[in-house]
Amino acid sequence: MTRRECLQMLAPLMTDHLVVTSQSGQRIEWSHLSERDGNLLLGQMGCALGVGAGLSLALPHRKVVVLESDGSVLLSLFNLPTLARLNPADLAVYVFDNGVYSGSRISEPTATGGRANLEALAKAAGIRNATTIRSARAFKRDGLAALKKKGLRFVVCKVEESLLHREIPRPTIDLAENKYKFVRYLERTEGKPIPFVGRG
Amino acid sequence: MEPELAKRIVAGLSNAGVNFVSYLPETRLSQILPLMREDPSFQLAPVSSEQEAVTIAAGAVLGGKQAACYIESTGIYVSCYSLVTVGKQLGVPLLLVVGFLGGLQDQRNSFLYSTIGAYARPVLEALAIPHEVIESGDGLETKIKNAVRAANALRSPAALLFAGDFTL
Repeated sequence: MTRRECLQMLAPLMTDHLVVTSQSGQRIEWSHLSERDGNLLLGQMGCALGVGAGLSLALPHRKVVVLESDGSVLLSLFNLPTLARLNPADLAVYVFDNGVYSGSRISEPTATGGRANLEALAKAAGIRNATTIRSARAFKRDGLAALKKKGLRFVVCKVEESLLHREIPRPTIDLAENKYKFVRYLERTEGKPIPFVGRG
Repeated sequence: MEPELAKRIVAGLSNAGVNFVSYLPETRLSQILPLMREDPSFQLAPVSSEQEAVTIAAGAVLGGKQAACYIESTGIYVSCYSLVTVGKQLGVPLLLVVGFLGGLQDQRNSFLYSTIGAYARPVLEALAIPHEVIESGDGLETKIKNAVRAANALRSPAALLFAGDFTL
């Protein structure tokens, strides 16, 4: 199973979802598969889980989807017990775990390339609905089901390392431009102003 | 700190529009937590690291909240990464409500804190995060409101470092 296969299945299902990605290959691939103002493509690793959780706490009636990587989640493992404690109302987390730091360009292994198990870590942190998916068929059945269910879902997708993201152009949208598009989208769909924009 | 000062911090935050607070508790300002819990205008998010206090609060701001992070000043060091990558790079206004340990005005200062305290303001300056040390209740409500307004206007974190009477 590749990350792109999973993202291709997810992309057409996005309607009013709020999608947050960390800076990893999925950020590049997602930007090509889904051009929506409801996408927030963060610029670094280790931040998407927190930002997604905050969005979900502020807007519990909205479905928030976080697209993460193993390297990024390992950078912020403290997020796992906090997520379990905060228990956001409708947050689906997909972690594309290829066992390597692809950005290193030398496929340096991550801890999950060794003995670490993100599903087990999530469960030990208190996230009850944590699961691991190992095939495209299982993703179609169980991975997509997480989109339809409320509550906190943590889906670890064991994927092959893919170098596709190096061959396609990187998204050119500036981080601030992306933020304002995202916030204006929220204003339109929520029917209320976001306080800090405008005059602040 | 005198209970009255804790009440005034909480009332000041509320009057400034703050309605979401991520926090990692510490010693000096902890009296504000039970008060915020009793006030339904605050949504509270306890965290495990100051780094995620920033990212979670930032997500809440993008979702329409006016957010603050209540942390100890050591948390400034822990959260540098997310203050830069989310607070500054993405441009998200946040109020940092900081228990300032180890500063000159820290009434609980000791060899345990003084070295740690010496770097808090230089780090905030290096990160271009506007900040003010507050030593007493004089003009407290105005200072909180000013900091929130500055954070929103700059699209940046801003910090209030509570020292002096707040550390008793």
